[in-house]
This record gives sequence, C-alpha cells and structure tokens, in this order.
Amino acid sequence: MKAMHGRPAEYGAVFKYVLLLPAVLWVVAFTFAPLIFVIRYSFANYVLGMGITGYIGLQNYADVLASDRFWHSIMVTAIYVAVSVPVEVVLGFIAAWLVNLGAPWARGFRTIIGMPLFTMEVAIGYLGVTLFSSQGGLVTAVLELAGIEVPWLSTPSGGIAAAILLDIWRWTSFVFIIVLAGLSSISSDLYDAAILDARNHWQVMWRLGIPLAWPVTTIAILLRIIEGLKVFAIPYALTTGGPGTSTEVFSAMDYLTTVQFFNFGQGSAMGIIFLIMVAALITVFFKQMRKRLG
Amino acid sequence: MPSGGDVEKLEHLVHGYLKGKIGRREFVLGGLQLGLSLAVLTRLTAPARAANLVESAPEVPYESPITKERIDFLKTKPFKGTTINVMVLKATVGDGLKYHVPHWEEETGGKVNVAEVPIETLHQQIFSDLASGLGRYDTYMTGAWFYGDFFVPETPYIIEIDSFLADPRYPYWDPDQWLPSMRKLYEWNGKLYGVLFDGDAQALYFRKDIFADGQNNEKFKAKYGYELPSPPKTMKELHDAAEFFTGWDWNKDGGNDWGLALHAKVNEQGFFHFLSLSAPYVISPDNKYYFFNPQNMKPLINSEGHLRALEDYIKLAGAGPREEISWTLGQGWNLFLAGHSAMEPTWGDLPTLAQDPKTSKVKGKVGAAGIPGTTEAFNPITGQWKKYEFNQVGNSNGGSWHCVISRNSKKREATYDFLAFMANKKNAFFNSANGWTGVQPGMKFEYLPPVGTASLDEFKAQNWDPDDVVEYLKGYYSVLSAPVQEEYLRIPGTAEYWHELDVNISAVLGGQMQPKAALDATAAAWEKITERYGREKQKALYQASFA
Repeated sequence: MKAMHGRPAEYGAVFKYVLLLPAVLWVVAFTFAPLIFVIRYSFANYVLGMGITGYIGLQNYADVLASDRFWHSIMVTAIYVAVSVPVEVVLGFIAAWLVNLGAPWARGFRTIIGMPLFTMEVAIGYLGVTLFSSQGGLVTAVLELAGIEVPWLSTPSGGIAAAILLDIWRWTSFVFIIVLAGLSSISSDLYDAAILDARNHWQVMWRLGIPLAWPVTTIAILLRIIEGLKVFAIPYALTTGGPGTSTEVFSAMDYLTTVQFFNFGQGSAMGIIFLIMVAALITVFFKQMRKRLG
Repeated sequence: MPSGGDVEKLEHLVHGYLKGKIGRREFVLGGLQLGLSLAVLTRLTAPARAANLVESAPEVPYESPITKERIDFLKTKPFKGTTINVMVLKATVGDGLKYHVPHWEEETGGKVNVAEVPIETLHQQIFSDLASGLGRYDTYMTGAWFYGDFFVPETPYIIEIDSFLADPRYPYWDPDQWLPSMRKLYEWNGKLYGVLFDGDAQALYFRKDIFADGQNNEKFKAKYGYELPSPPKTMKELHDAAEFFTGWDWNKDGGNDWGLALHAKVNEQGFFHFLSLSAPYVISPDNKYYFFNPQNMKPLINSEGHLRALEDYIKLAGAGPREEISWTLGQGWNLFLAGHSAMEPTWGDLPTLAQDPKTSKVKGKVGAAGIPGTTEAFNPITGQWKKYEFNQVGNSNGGSWHCVISRNSKKREATYDFLAFMANKKNAFFNSANGWTGVQPGMKFEYLPPVGTASLDEFKAQNWDPDDVVEYLKGYYSVLSAPVQEEYLRIPGTAEYWHELDVNISAVLGGQMQPKAALDATAAAWEKITERYGREKQKALYQASFA
C-alpha cells in the first residue's frame, strides 16, 4: 500500500492492464486459440473417434477449391446477400424516413417493425415451412386465391426466394433502427430550409436525407453484408439446402462438413478460404466507403 | 473340450447365480476363468432364466413375462434416487420411448430425462457427446447406420449388453426371438450392443380395394394389354400401375389422385426409397454387393444397374405430386392415408397408422407386398447384365431405431433396466402394434403363425382391422426373410456416404443434375470419404459385414 501511495503513476499504468486483462483473455481464448486450432486442422486428416490421423499439407485446400459444391454454396450465399441486403436497405431507409417525418402512426409502427429482431432465426425458418408449404401454407394459399401458383419449397428458385423473403422480414427492421438514429441526428433547421426549396418530401430525402445519413447507412450495409454472408438458420431450417444442394449456403455446407460429419480438416480449410474471401470483400468495401466520405 | 470338473464348476456357477447366491460380477469372472465368453454365458443362463419365468405378476403390471428374481428385485425400488439421461430421435419413435417412461419410473423408483433431437442433427449430437467425453447421456437412440462410427476408437463408444442379459433381475426379453436379418443390425462382430426397439424394412403398400376394382382392371387392361396386377410384382408392373393411377379421380372425391407417394426432402430419410427400389437392379442371387467392391472399396454406386434404377426412380417420382421433393416422411404418408395415393413403398408405420380413423381414410383397405423385383440385374463386380425369371430383393432399410448404452455412462444398470423394460414382450408388442410409436416388428412373437406366435386377437385388441394386419405382417415378413437380401451399410462414415447419395438424388429429382453425373459425383465423394477413414480399414470392416 505504501508503494502505491508513493508511486500513483506507476500504479495507474499497471492497473489499466489489469482492467484490460479479462477482455484480452476472452479474445485469446475465444478468437485466437480457436483460429490457431482451425489453421492446424486445415492441414490435417481428421477422423471421428481417432482424431488427427496425419498431416496432409494443402490437400484439404485443394479439395475445397476443386469442389463444385463449395463454389455453388458460395454462389447461393452471394445471391442471397446481393438480393436481400439492397431490399432491406431500401425498405429500412424508406420506413425510417417516414417515421422520422413524424407521421401519426410512427410510434406504433416503430414498435411493430422491431419485433422480428427478437425472434430466433431458426424459428423463422420453421415458420417459413408452414407459410410456404404446398399443403395449406398461408402464403401459398393466398397466392392461389389470386390464381398464382408458386412451387416455393420444391424448386431451387422458389426455395431461395422464400428464404430471402423471410430474411427481408427479419432484418429490414435492423436497417430501420440504425438509419432512424442517423436521420434523427440531422438538425431540424436543415430540414426546414430544404423543404422551402424542394417540391416534395421525396426530393428532400433524395437530396438531403440520403447524403447526410449515408455514413450511418453504410455501417448498416456493412453489418448486413457480414451477417448475410454468415446466414445459416433461415435457409437451412426452411429447405435443409434442397432440392439437392440448390439452396445450400456456405455456412450450411461448412456445418455439414465439420459438425455433422466431423470432417474437421476440410471444414477448417473451407472456413479459412471463406474468411480470406470475406476479408478481401470487406477491405474493398471500406476503401470505397472512405473514398466516398472523402 | 471341458473336463468333468469344469462342467461341475460351471453347473455350480450357473445355479448359484440364478439362485442369487453369487453376484453377477462373480458369475462373469468365474465363467471367464473357465474359458467361456460372455455370449456363451448368456446362452447358458437363458434356458434357466426362462424356467424362472411367470406369465405375469399383479404387483408388476407393466411387464409380461417376468422372472421371479425380477419381482423380488422391484420390491426394493432398486433405482430410487437414480436419474438416467436419454437422447432420442424427435419423431414417432421418440414418442414411443417416452410413453414407457412413467411406467418404468413407477416400477423402479428411477427417473428418466428424455432429450429429443431432430434427425438432421442426431448423428452430430450423439457423437459430439461421445467424442468430447462429456457423457451427458447414458444412452442414445441410434439409427442402425450409425453403428460403424461407434467402433472407430479402440475402446468402442458403446458397451455390450450380454452380461446384463444373463441377469434375471433385469426385465426379461429374448434376443433369440429376433428375425436373423434384424438381429444383425443390433450386433457388431457377433456381440449384442443394442436393446430391442424398432425393426425397419421397406415394403410396398397399396390400396387393395382400388386394385381389386373391376372397372379399374378393364381400363388398365385396355391401356397396357394385361390384367391390373394386384399387387405389382415386377418393376414394369409397378411403373405401369403408378402411371395408370396418376392424374385422374379414382377415389371419386372430385380431385385428381396419384399413383405412388414418396417423400424426398434432402437430409431426411427419402434416400431409403431409392435404396429399396434400386436393389433388384443390382442385387441378385449372383451379386450381394451394392455399395462397394469388397476387393478394393471402389464405389459401385455409379454402375449401369444403379443408373438404370435412378432413371426409373425419376419416372416413379412423376407418379406423385411435384412437391414430394420437399416433403418429410409424414407428408408422404399423409397422401396415402388421406386416400389420394394408390401405392407407397415405405416402412410399416403406414399400415399401422392407417388403423387410426382420426388420421386415416384407408383402414381395412391396405394391402402389403415385397418391393417389386426385376427380370434383369446388373452385376457391378463382373460388369454384366443377367436375365432372371424373377429377381426380388428383401431389405432391412431404415433406422431400426433403438438405444445403445454409452461407455461414459455411470448408471449402466439403471439404463439397461429401462431399455430392457421396453424390450419386454408386453411393451415391445404394444409398440409394434401401435403406429404412433414408430416401431415395426422384428421379433417372432410379433408375427402371426406359422412364422410367429402372435394371435389375431392380440392385434384386434389394439384396434387393427384383421385383414390389414394379416396382409401387413405377411408382406413385411416376406421382405425381412427374402432369400436374397440387400446389404445394410454399417461401416464408419455411413451417415456421410448416404448423405452424399441423398443430396445427389435430390439434385436429380430437382432437375439440378443428370442421373449419370449425380451418381458419378456420389462415387467421387465416396472415394474421398474412404480415403479419409483409411481404405484398408474400411475394406476390412466392409468385408466383415458379409461374413
């Protein structure tokens, strides 16, 4: 105690590291250590019940890169993200803009639109089975009343479309909340001035709202892309990847390989390759974002 | 050759054990000192156990027959304070197991926690628990095709049950009642690991009233030039009948009906349809190998026979609704039970569920037969097609869902007691006679004479239509006892081998792949799996499975 009183600066320096320690331990234990294990497994032949039976160099990587199923799952994931994220951003932005205008229904709407965020994705997937079922599914039945027959779960395009619709329902509210926060921070003076110059509210949104809310919107886009690339529960619960592997997203394929069939070697290689691809994509995204934001 | 002294010692040992003078451990050790295996000891005690049997005991209402030792044992509430954890398949078979829990708890004082796991994650959940050594579960309900994976480690993940079988304090059941093709699925290298529950095979179920209809026969004859076969015996007849009953209102309810129901959702159990229906294109009296060449473990799945079978399978799928490709097992059954499908190749749940008027419109109208055969089969080992007068192949396809005991269990006695309780004749018969349990008959006492010992009255008491049960058991038995049987793959990695086949067949049905490409892709994936597990090890196990 005497030393501490005598040397407060030194004590402070030590104390801040002590405070940091739990977070550092957490990251080391649950991020770095698993990553090291994954890298190690990716060079190994792993068999359930025997563990690592030998190291096989880059064979797992070669097998993954030569696998049609792997590239197909990447393509399905890319389509999933490319369709769902823009729709969620557009719908979320419009909804946030309208609520920010102070429409009378805004308060109730704000509560309702956030509800899907509190629902488990796997539950949404199973709900989708009921909604899109060919035997009395609600969506199918409503469309049939209008004379439209959609083979939702029995065709590749129907299956992925159903999964994307559920994803949009789930995640639009996430974009809405973030963009609304951004729009709320814009000074009301700017709105008042813009309304005097513009012909209507849409023009204000286009000329003022979007540019000023763009930084926060890009964060929403980035988070949605990252989450979208990891998508698993909704499409898997809905179609289990079928027919065939037509709706199999990357995470589902990696799950089956690694967790279901305990092929830790190939599953790890798959994960590393995907990590590199996503890291490259995000780097490009950040560079573009920095350019646009000057 | 045992000496006279050894025989005397053995008699002393067996009598002492059965009279409760020596414990199980002492009995087993004594037997082993005399050079006897557990399997032999079990057989030695079986007749004596049977001699101590009584048909029933008023104080033990849930078991029949029962040994006198068991009656005394239960008086002590032997498992009071003991809780066992059971992982089951979240399906009808899981419901069947749960039904017996309160009865066992009442008898023994023990407690059972049941965790239900969907089929798509069951394999992963079982082996995560075993491989991690967590041992959260004492027993798992396994599909028979997971067996190989239990035996990859030097010390198997599951334990033998022979020593329990010899102990008359546990619920009585007799493994010798099994039909041979079913018993194999509960054993590994001749040792018993599984405790009786389910006995799966796929047969062809059909609407005997629709097939017997004179007008239908005339229409069929006019179109195909021969009598409507009831039931279809060859694949050609099956295809013709399926096509004939597709797309018109033969049940006269105002809507079009279908020829044949299937379920084909990927990562479910739809691939079993293909395994059963393709067997007579490849398996024959001259070839028993369906999956691999036993000499080198090269896949046979892309042979000419398999290819023709898959091409025909696609045509058969056309005799049902397009949505079948996304249907689960229950959805496939519903089409038949609702009276909209003339046929369905599936498990025995279907005729059993048909007996419930709440879910079925076809009670009293269900016929059963073996999966139709071919007149030509391809031998993938020799690479030759060969003509046969009639080549019909039996199968034991399906999960034959039953429980095995984890090597990590600390409550093996209580766990076995619970499993044997469900295997006791009274409970096993109840299971196989009630569709909602998901259990099918694999024991002789579940069949009618002359092959079995059950009586029609026992089935009537479970609300069976007498004609349906006679047809069902006859058809089911013919599948399980057919002289030419399709092999059942149980080597390590079987779940993965079958998954690859499953996704590729589904891709063909979904129009994503052509049949040849799909089977070639399956073969290529199988090669990778074999390499990973070790070709020589897999080959030895595959060859052993035919021994």
